[in-house]
Amino acid sequence: MADREQFLAHVRERIQSGGARPHEHYQPTVAPDSVWTPNRPRPSAWEPSPGELPERFLAELRALGGTGARVSDTAAARDYIVELARQKGATLLVRWGDEPTEALGVDAPLSAAGTRVAVWGRDADARDLTATADIGLSSAECAVAETGSLVLVTSAERGRAVTLLPPAYVAVVPSARLVPRVTDVIAHYAQAGPLPASLCFHTGPSRSADIEQSLAIGVHAPGEIHVLLVE
Amino acid sequence: MRVALFIPCYVDLLAPEVGVSTVRVLRRLGVEVVYPEGQTCCGQPAFNSGFFEDTRTVARHFLDVFARERCDYIVCPSGSCATMVAHYYPFVFRRYPHDARRAAPVSGRVRELSDFLVNVLGAADLGASYTGKAVFHTGCHQRRELGLFEEPRTLLRHVRGLELVEWENDALCCGFGGTFSVKMPDVSTAMADEKVRALEATGADTLISCDSSCLMQLGGRLTRTGHPTRVLHLAQVLDAGFEPDSDENNQDDQDDQDGTKG
Amino acid sequence: MARMTTTKPARQRDAIDTRHTGPEHAGGDFNARGREALKDEFLHDSLALAQARLSGSRTTTLATLPDAPELRARAYAIKQDVIAHLDTYLERLADAVERAGGHVHFASDGADAIEYISGIVARRDARTIVKSKSMATEEIELNHRLEELHPGLEIVETDLGEWIIQLRGEPPSHIIAPAVHLNRFQVAETFSQVAGEPVSPDLEALLQFARRRLRQKFLAAEIGISGANFAIAETGTIVMVTNEGNGRLVTSLPPVHIAVVGMEKLLPRVADLSVFLQLLARSGTGQKLTVFTNLITGPRRPGESDGPEEFHLVLLDNGRSQILGTEFDEALYCIRCGACLNVCPVYRQVGGHVYGSTYSGPIGAVITPLLKGDAVAKDLPNASSLCGACWEACPVGIPLHDLLLKLRNRETREGLAGRDQALLFAGFAQAMAHPTVYRLGAAAGRIAQAPFIAAGSIRRAPRPAGRWTGTRDLPPIAGASFRDRWKEGI
Repeated sequence: MADREQFLAHVRERIQSGGARPHEHYQPTVAPDSVWTPNRPRPSAWEPSPGELPERFLAELRALGGTGARVSDTAAARDYIVELARQKGATLLVRWGDEPTEALGVDAPLSAAGTRVAVWGRDADARDLTATADIGLSSAECAVAETGSLVLVTSAERGRAVTLLPPAYVAVVPSARLVPRVTDVIAHYAQAGPLPASLCFHTGPSRSADIEQSLAIGVHAPGEIHVLLVE
Repeated sequence: MRVALFIPCYVDLLAPEVGVSTVRVLRRLGVEVVYPEGQTCCGQPAFNSGFFEDTRTVARHFLDVFARERCDYIVCPSGSCATMVAHYYPFVFRRYPHDARRAAPVSGRVRELSDFLVNVLGAADLGASYTGKAVFHTGCHQRRELGLFEEPRTLLRHVRGLELVEWENDALCCGFGGTFSVKMPDVSTAMADEKVRALEATGADTLISCDSSCLMQLGGRLTRTGHPTRVLHLAQVLDAGFEPDSDENNQDDQDDQDGTKG
Repeated sequence: MARMTTTKPARQRDAIDTRHTGPEHAGGDFNARGREALKDEFLHDSLALAQARLSGSRTTTLATLPDAPELRARAYAIKQDVIAHLDTYLERLADAVERAGGHVHFASDGADAIEYISGIVARRDARTIVKSKSMATEEIELNHRLEELHPGLEIVETDLGEWIIQLRGEPPSHIIAPAVHLNRFQVAETFSQVAGEPVSPDLEALLQFARRRLRQKFLAAEIGISGANFAIAETGTIVMVTNEGNGRLVTSLPPVHIAVVGMEKLLPRVADLSVFLQLLARSGTGQKLTVFTNLITGPRRPGESDGPEEFHLVLLDNGRSQILGTEFDEALYCIRCGACLNVCPVYRQVGGHVYGSTYSGPIGAVITPLLKGDAVAKDLPNASSLCGACWEACPVGIPLHDLLLKLRNRETREGLAGRDQALLFAGFAQAMAHPTVYRLGAAAGRIAQAPFIAAGSIRRAPRPAGRWTGTRDLPPIAGASFRDRWKEGI
């Protein structure tokens, strides 16, 4: 087993052994039909106003097979979730215990309708129950309009399993938390100091094309995704 | 405008009619053409097989022949050979500064034929006529190292009677790759068959390219599989239809392949 | 290493992974293996479809980026900097992982990596390991070796395609579509054997079976092993780019997460992800982003109830350091997107198995001889027409075609190109450097070819030309060369 110093010294020595040879450099392509060729016509950059972001987000999400809706307030979001649980005959919903998810107030109406609610970070058995839950419910740090992505981070109240194990998953995000591009999110976290244990761009229903290249939805992670944008 | 002709070795020996048409096409445009007779090859066969020292031996001779030639451009009817000299000679000589210095002005003057016609002379309609439905095969070096995709098509679109059509999988390599064609013959032939199928789907009766190597590969497979497709270099098509029987002249040149002159 | 006996009753194992994936196990030469692969029409249709879909989407999504050419140049520059200062970045990465509560192990080779991982298996008394796709683990034959060291241990590939080929004992045939060579009847047959009862060959039934079966494994596993696309030195973060979700489950559910990552897969800063996240998914599959782009930094934080308790990053050398400081080091810039496979005209015809290595296609033909040595992978640099489509597709601008050429050169300098070829090109060089010799050679050729010409063409010739005329006609040497015609007057 190499120890760290030995390993790094060997790497350094190998790099330095290349001393005198000619350096390689980047070669741009020249074929007129290649996307990498510099002097080809360029599409214009997308510079959206904030008002355009919700529709773009929803269009991207829907193109991926997800379901998206704009709702007027948290009450409307709550009603959507209760109705979804009713339609699916859901007996168990597991949700994040963070403040935005708490503020939806879904626990009481769901229980009343026969859907048990387990809260991650509060209920000791939430972790085990997630494996059998019908629906997972969470908030999100933000959402990316360019790609239809949710940005999910972990904490004591925000378990990854809630967004992964149930076959259906609902995320509720304020429209004000929409950002245009993936690069905007990266730029933010590049300055934000230490990263959480997991920061995930979750983009649409899980998919695989491994059997005869036919698209398969929801093999391991949720095949049904709902995102509610709250005005 | 004075150009020196760089005729690839396999054009010299196996397809001289391509060189002949090249000369006629250039002269028709008022270009003075010289042919440095000591030339043989650019060295690409040795290069592609990894024999860089042997490549240098051949390339130095190439430089001996062309460096002293007073000309505005060195014109070559082959995308892959033009690429060898224009694009790869600096690499071939990158540890040999003396040769690199000699090579630079030569590399800088080499132009593939369609590039020279369209981008230097500004030509488009050369007055040629050829009746047929054709697909054009862009050689890989021509496309990717020289970036010359439109130029041959620009010239062919002005040929009277020629219907130029596009074909599927246009960017796929024909499978020649020099010694690859004999080192990996089954794979090489499968690649040719992919192109043949694409050609069949268009109903074209003619295959045109700026690379005789690609024409040799695809033409050799087309005839072996019983296709009556005419296989022509761009220069031959641009040289077509000028004298009453100039087409037959070219055909005679091609028939004259059994080792006898006449 | 002492063999471990299990203290708990054995769980049911679906497969024992005995696959060998190195080129030392590939028999015959590339062309001979290719000839066999060419007979498989389903494979050919699958490859053509995969290339058309994946490469078509690639160019469509990349074309919407206003600054794609600049991104590629930046990607190259970032990777060039990483490789030029790899020791510094590796040290920075290790420190950052440890600050985040994780462990780092520098593995000089596969055996070293496996010894470290085996120690964790023993300490945790693991009986089930779930794995998400990692070519680095295939490179070191991790599954096979760990199962040898720990009888009764089950290691389950959880990518749907990888699981299928694991059950069948086959190596992957594509970097991102490992089961592209199989049809659903073959899959159903395999699943039925595992289930002990018939599983219907319709897509929904196959998927439901896979979901149920693999879910049991995720929930039972003591250890999850993954790869990573990037490791960020600044923060100790690994980045995983996946579609199925199994990567998320592997790295979230089991109490231990081990990431095995080639030591070259580093990026300096979080900000650098901006460049690579715009390029990776678009180049590989034409998606703007894959379903899950996951940035993992160390184990779970205090108070969290999922995520691993232990996080281990195993950084693998295994031949990569030999590439540093050479004219081949651009090969280490690869981000494993698969774009080169999706445009390669050779790969299109024969698929991945023919390369006889963990890594296939153009990148495989380059790095296999670099990692394993030329003698073992002699054929691979020659299995290319040097068309350059791979370089043109590569989002980082790696000149794969030029690297193949340099590998051929290296083979000639090591005497691996064969005496016949060396003599041939020495003769070629002399002939081409001396016009008189060249012309005499042509004259001799005209005489020698005469018996083989029929109807203006050569259809049958002795070796080596016979390898051409087996399938293609050959034009004979013309009676009058161009030079002769010039001298006669044109």
